[in-house]
Parts: sequence; C-alpha cells; structure tokens
Amino acid sequence: MAPKNRKTANGGASPSPSTLEEKSPAKFAQVDGGDGVASDSGTTHSGLDLTPSTSARDEVKVNNSSATDMKHACDDALKRFLARPDLFKQIHTHTDVRLALGWASVLVSLGTGLYGYKVEFEKSKPVVWAGLILYIILTVAQALYAYFIEGDIVFVGKRKTFDKRIVTERITVSSKTIPSTPSAPCPSYALSLSYVRSASGGKTLLGKGRSGAERPYNSFFDPQGVMDQEAFERWVGSVVGRVIEGPSE
Amino acid sequence: MFGDELKALRRLGFRHVLLQILNFASVLASGLMIWKGLGLITNTESPIVVCYHSGSMEPAFYRGDLLFLTNPPNQRYEIGDITVYKVPGADIPIVHRVLETRDLVPLAQEQLLLTKGDNNHIDDIELYQGLEWLERKHIIGKVRGFLPYVGYVTIAMNDFPQFKYALLGGLGLLALIQRE
Repeated sequence: MAPKNRKTANGGASPSPSTLEEKSPAKFAQVDGGDGVASDSGTTHSGLDLTPSTSARDEVKVNNSSATDMKHACDDALKRFLARPDLFKQIHTHTDVRLALGWASVLVSLGTGLYGYKVEFEKSKPVVWAGLILYIILTVAQALYAYFIEGDIVFVGKRKTFDKRIVTERITVSSKTIPSTPSAPCPSYALSLSYVRSASGGKTLLGKGRSGAERPYNSFFDPQGVMDQEAFERWVGSVVGRVIEGPSE
Repeated sequence: MFGDELKALRRLGFRHVLLQILNFASVLASGLMIWKGLGLITNTESPIVVCYHSGSMEPAFYRGDLLFLTNPPNQRYEIGDITVYKVPGADIPIVHRVLETRDLVPLAQEQLLLTKGDNNHIDDIELYQGLEWLERKHIIGKVRGFLPYVGYVTIAMNDFPQFKYALLGGLGLLALIQRE
C-alpha cells in the first residue's frame, strides 16, 4: 500500500513525477549507491509507478500453439504498459526509419513501373535501370538496418524528470522467444533491458543498468489462449524496477 | 466478421497500420521490380508470355503454355527460331517460326524476317498490315523455353476478371491482418 500512501500524502492526486520525487530526494542523492529504499511492494521505484494499470482492458486472445503470435501479444502488451503517459514516452525512431526506407522503395518501384509503361521499351531502359538499382539499394539498406541496428528491440522509451536538474532516462527493451527444449517443453519469452540515466543533456552519466529475465509462455497464457495481462505487467514492472534500481556503474 | 482484427488494428495505432500496408505494398513492389529486372536482363519488354490463341503453332505450343523469351540485340535470328512479334497497328503479339531472313545491311539489328505458323498453310504476309518483311524492332523476343499448362491461370484471370479481383482482394486482406 506504500505507493498509494505516497500519492495522497502529496496533498492531492497529482500524478506528476516531479511532485513524487520531492517526497524522496534522498533517492537521487544516492543514485550511484546501492538500493537506497527498501521497496516493500517492489512496484514503485524512483517515482515510477510500475503497478499494472487498473483501467478496463480489451481481452487479448491468441493462438496458443503459435510462439510467434504469443510473442507479438507479449510485445504489444509491453508497449502498451511502458508507453503509458506516466511511464515512458516511446521513441519511434526504428519504426520510422523502417517505414521511410520501405515506402521509399515502394514509391521508386511504382515510379519505375509507371515510366516503363508509358515510355517505349528501348527508350525507357536507362531510367528503368536507374530505378531498379535505387530500389535494390533501398531494400538492402532496409534489410541491413532491421538486422544489425534494430535487431530484437521492441521498445525504446525516454523520460525526463526535473529535480534540481533535468534528468533523462532512456530504456531499451528487446525480446525474443526461446524455443522449447526436451527439459523445458514450453517456449519462453526472454526479455532484456538496457537502461541509462543521465543529466544535463546526456553529458553526465548518472546511472546505467542491464537486466534480463525470462518466463515460459504458459505463465501468461491460459489453455484457451487468453492473456493474463495483469500478471504480465506485474512481471515486466518488476524487471524494469530491477534495472532502474539495480547496481549502477 | 473482422471485428477482432479491426479492434486490434485500432489499438496498435497508426504506425502499425502503415507497417502492415507496407508489407503488402512491398510484396507487390518486389514482384514488379523482379519483372522489370528480368526484362532488362533479357532485353525484351515481356520476358514471359502466355500462348493465348494456339492452333497455329501446334504441336509445339498449345493454348495455356508459358513461354520464356530473350532478345539478344546483336545476334542474328536464324531460320527455325520461334519468335514473338507485334505488328504496329495490331495489339496482340503472335508466336510463329522464322521462315526466311534477309540482310540488306550486314547488321543484326537491321535484319528482315518472314514468319509462318507451324500449323498454318500460308506464311504471315497477310498479318503484316501492309509490310513485306518484319523488322527487328517489331520482334519482342525469341522463345528459349516453355512450361506447359501454367499459363491457364493468366487466361482464367483475363477471361474472368472477378477471379483476378477476388484473388487480389484476398491476398491484400491476408497481408493486412497477418504479422510476420
């Protein structure tokens, strides 16, 4: 019940992170130390309310036998959870780059096709060659970006808080499915997070953290395929809390 | 019927919808580019054609056969090559065999050809719309290989356009709903 007490003791239901932090300035002073707060409920860390949301949700039902479907459902639930207004603000750079490269290649191919249709074959050859080479470059660039730079990342979030100075937190979450083995017959969802906290525009490093966790899919999906979103969010909340409070360099 | 999928799309947001449409569009785009690339490599505007009206080339080709063409720019066409040509003024390409060739100028690009279908009794002079010889620029390509029966899908889609739209619509719906 600790988080609820903190909120009301603040003199109102003000959810802004800055007022929450004023209550416990000691936390930020010991940012490079160990865990400065004995988090009893383990759900609120440095002013972040990582409890599962209480608002009504749509039921999520997926095909139980498809690990891809279950992974997508978990990824979507994770994005919904972490992109809440009081948690992180999602950075869409990876998606935007993929969209830009992809749509550019589609437009190039449409243009080339239209040109080849309108202009007679022999005359159109140089332009069609140019279009084809441009299309190949864009497609290869998109594939390389998705494989090397984006990789397994599903969520990148940022958060700015104000406490004597502007503190920026950045969290990167990647996930993958660990296939089932004879000893672990249910495939697992492996989450890995990387967290950076810095001040004054990224020049001062206040804290860094990395953590990972995995759970078999059957802890979140029942035999009908309905997802227990609250249990999932609780687990994600605990992993995020661990990386935020964890040993920082 | 699609209530669940529409709800999921709305929940996932605008970028996700753009990504799904991109998946579908990029499949079409890559198909188009492969076609264009193949045309550039084989030097013909239509590297794969379907034998639509057969009869004139039986027993070599029947209706529904898929033909693979190339058009090497500096090679002479020999007697016996099977060519696909389009006479200016007619819009259907014709698949017939070369009967005679003439080189007024010793340049492969200036070759003149006379064709005839294997199963026809007379040569193609009547189809040339006034010309006496076919010029290289009328030739789309010569047949290098073929696959029997595969072209019937294209013929079906041309004769029954509803089939074509239904197929395209079904593929589009599938691409929008599925996630890779």
